[in-house]
Amino acid sequence: MKTLKRWCAVVLLLVSWGIIAAAQPPQPKGEYVPVDQLPPTESMPAAPLLITAYAFVMIVLFVYVLSVARRLSTVQQELNRLDASIKQGGRT
Amino acid sequence: MPKWFFPAAIVCGVLFAASPFVVANAPFEADLGLVQKIFYYHMPSAWMFLIASIVCGVASVRFLATGDYRHDRTALAAGELIVLFGLLTLVTGPLWARRSWGTFWIWDARTTASLVSWMIACAYLILRRYGGPGSEKLAAGLALFGMANVPFIYISVNYWRTIHPPTTVVPTLPFSLGFPLWFCVISFLLLFVVLLKLRIRVEEQQARVDALYLALDERS
Amino acid sequence: MMRVAWLILRKDLTVEVRSMEIVYTTLFFAVSCVLVFAFALVREGRAPEDGAAGILWIAVMFAGNLALGRTFERERQSETLRALLLGPAPRPAVYVGKLLGILALLFGAELLLVPLVALLFQARLLAHPFWLIAILATGTIGFAAVGTLFAAMLIRARSRDVLLPVLLYPVTVPVIIAGVRGTAALLQPELDGGIVRFWVALLVCFDVVFVTLALWTFEPVMTD
Repeated sequence: MKTLKRWCAVVLLLVSWGIIAAAQPPQPKGEYVPVDQLPPTESMPAAPLLITAYAFVMIVLFVYVLSVARRLSTVQQELNRLDASIKQGGRT
Repeated sequence: MPKWFFPAAIVCGVLFAASPFVVANAPFEADLGLVQKIFYYHMPSAWMFLIASIVCGVASVRFLATGDYRHDRTALAAGELIVLFGLLTLVTGPLWARRSWGTFWIWDARTTASLVSWMIACAYLILRRYGGPGSEKLAAGLALFGMANVPFIYISVNYWRTIHPPTTVVPTLPFSLGFPLWFCVISFLLLFVVLLKLRIRVEEQQARVDALYLALDERS
Repeated sequence: MMRVAWLILRKDLTVEVRSMEIVYTTLFFAVSCVLVFAFALVREGRAPEDGAAGILWIAVMFAGNLALGRTFERERQSETLRALLLGPAPRPAVYVGKLLGILALLFGAELLLVPLVALLFQARLLAHPFWLIAILATGTIGFAAVGTLFAAMLIRARSRDVLLPVLLYPVTVPVIIAGVRGTAALLQPELDGGIVRFWVALLVCFDVVFVTLALWTFEPVMTD
């Protein structure tokens, strides 16, 4: 009975995904694009944006790597401390 | 740490250090100009965002099904990486968009779906941090719901806003533009694997610390 | 299983009818919400275009969030949820019973909100009652299905009050979009049946998928 229920659920899931996949999207009527598309040559210069993007990525990745490395060393120190105190406890 | 870890980390570092030079040497794209070069970091970030989501979702399902905490650690590590790479994608994208579409943000299908998925990942981390004991299973349930939600988010936002940016151009890239892209993709992929392993390691050690504390408590 | 769910629903209704606390507070909150939106958005006596659809759904979701929190808070205080889970009732039945209770409350709130929003924002919400009922029913079921699971999950968590909306709103984004766009389509002078049918179909799929997922995950998530 339980297996049957599970199979029913799986079939239901697949059917519903199939329905979504087959659903015809409603044809959009003339869409008003609410954003003014400036010709690229007349908008902001590209270099500051490019440099900001790359700098942001490098900095964020660097900060994350540092954060994980710091957490790892903290945990490692604590582990060593506990190991040492257990060994001492074992000896006495 | 496994044997492959340190060589992989070093290679990853070298690739990342070299990537700005590779990107600088790539030719400009005819229509989009200089700002298109953001693409070489934006696209791999987006792919890692997607890969991290899949890893987190699968690990959460396996954790719910088996109760094995190794899957839970993988899910947590992947969850952090979803937020990390999602942040990179959601910042580099608008910086590119400012130049090429004229505005920082456009409520279109892909951007909105990415934003919502990123918020679900942030909610996942908030739950794990502040949910108190026993929040691992709850977070796994949330991750499962988030993963199942992706097609719905995408479809509903797609038909909500029908402004389409240029669709993916990757398969049609000529070599001179394709090489920097794949160089960056490999760097990011290597970075993803290295970070995932590192983060899982932190959780494993923490679990051992907790177990040792319990053992010490029992002894005294 | 449905018998157990019905018993749980009856129990909740019986407890609620004695004090009517959750019903009155939820309804009043929903009405206050709509009033706040009215003061914020109505300019020179006119509401913004399509504003009514958005306001209706936001009021339902905020009120629903409160109701979910309050319902499970009551369970937590009396430790009745643990009693339910310890009993021989199949876990999914507990979920269904709770879900039916929340749905009853939200449908009641919508019964009050729809005429109120139609009145305050000059929106012809009641022009196509059958479609409106379809959208409201399917959207509310989707929201309540996810909300009931999350609220039950969070019952023993810390910071549960703030965590519920933090978890719930991003995951129910498709419901918001489909509900609001579907209702807004009903407000157009000429009804485009294709669009409304599409949103209702999406909501039905969402409901099917997420109720099924919730039934699957209720058990592993609620066990310690």
